[in-house]
Amino acid sequence: MAHPDLLTLLLADARLPVAGHTQSGTLEGAVMAGLGPADVPSYLRTRLLGVTRVEAGTAVAARRAVLDRRPLADVETAWAARTVAPAVRSASRVQARALLRLCTRVWPDAAAPLQAVPGASRAVALGAVAAGIGIAADGLARLVAYDDVQTVCAAALKLLPLDPAAVTGWVVDALPLVEEVVAATAGVADADDIPAVGVPQIEVWAQAHARTTRRLFRA
Amino acid sequence: MPDHDHAHVHVDRPLRLGVCGPVGTGKSSLIALLCRELSERLSLAVVTNDIYTDEDARFLRSAGVLAADRIRAVETGACPHTAIRDDISANLMEVEELERDYPDLDLVLLESGGDNLTATFSPALVDAQVFVLDVAGGGDVARKGGPGIERADLLVVNKTDLAPYVGVDVAQMRADAVAARDGRPVIALSRTDRDSIDAIVAWVLEVRSSHQHGLLVPVDPGPMAPHSHAGEHAHEH
Repeated sequence: MAHPDLLTLLLADARLPVAGHTQSGTLEGAVMAGLGPADVPSYLRTRLLGVTRVEAGTAVAARRAVLDRRPLADVETAWAARTVAPAVRSASRVQARALLRLCTRVWPDAAAPLQAVPGASRAVALGAVAAGIGIAADGLARLVAYDDVQTVCAAALKLLPLDPAAVTGWVVDALPLVEEVVAATAGVADADDIPAVGVPQIEVWAQAHARTTRRLFRA
Repeated sequence: MPDHDHAHVHVDRPLRLGVCGPVGTGKSSLIALLCRELSERLSLAVVTNDIYTDEDARFLRSAGVLAADRIRAVETGACPHTAIRDDISANLMEVEELERDYPDLDLVLLESGGDNLTATFSPALVDAQVFVLDVAGGGDVARKGGPGIERADLLVVNKTDLAPYVGVDVAQMRADAVAARDGRPVIALSRTDRDSIDAIVAWVLEVRSSHQHGLLVPVDPGPMAPHSHAGEHAHEH
């Protein structure tokens, strides 16, 4: 197997064919509700203090479950209980399908444990694959949190008229908080350990966004 | 891999036919027309790609040409071009799921989101593709060329019945298209012209037949002009 750092880079790369360009991390819903360019850095922070910890903790728990040969279904249930908005759950599961399609082709053994959880979330899929290809818990948490920041920032460039260099500056500014997410979630041992931190406003925006007929992003 | 093995791969699954072209040229209407004409003979499904949500899928479902569940939508994240060419994952997932849900499928029609003249399907997604222009877009569009106009498996010049109202000479536009395509087929289509409908239905059936017999090799129209080498003719595939 290749070096885990390289595999992490591969999975974090926007060029990975998993239709990542269809996602905005609910930024579009937030912009529809009036969020402006100046608010995007605080939106990033809010996600890193909330929903992203659920995602990262879930991925780490799924990785652990695969390594310990415990059922992934418990992790999936814990994730769903912490992800209140149906729109967010649905978007995550669509992304997981694309990831699973790719991983089944590229790393069939790593994807195999996911057969037991049809319709798994993206966090569970990513965690299970990470277990199979040798990505460590901290690298996995870092990948999930970094990916969330980049998803929002890439969407910001489409939704709001901005200088791309300024947006990359926001990504860099968010990196210390990414490390805090890693510190808070890399040690998650099982489903009960996954942080339970909702951000009701983001969930409300996500639900409203899913009902609009003029959205550019899937979610 | 020997050719006969290659042939087997294609025979085992339905023909995947892409329909692309600029916004408003009549892609959805063409797909509705093909569904109406072919649904008695073939088991059909449709995947639509929209810039906004699933409006093309809803249009087709409301047209009543196919059971609603056989029409599925891909949301392209404002990148209709990417979803049919660079990252076809979302489309492949829908096509593969339709093929699992309906094992008897003969033909899957994929409609691209309306994009510009350079948008074409990846041959990894579709076996053959139709590029659609319309007379109302201007008589000179066919002459401008581009990968779809020049090298899609079929070029449709749509809405010929509107020509008198928009001051376009259909015969000239068709001649421009034929000249740009180096012998590849062109159909000047109108839903009020029965002969033109028969022509496109016959073309689809012919492509399906060559697919079934393992003779159809998906051709990439490319976003790029074909390479040409000194002393050789330009590649045609």
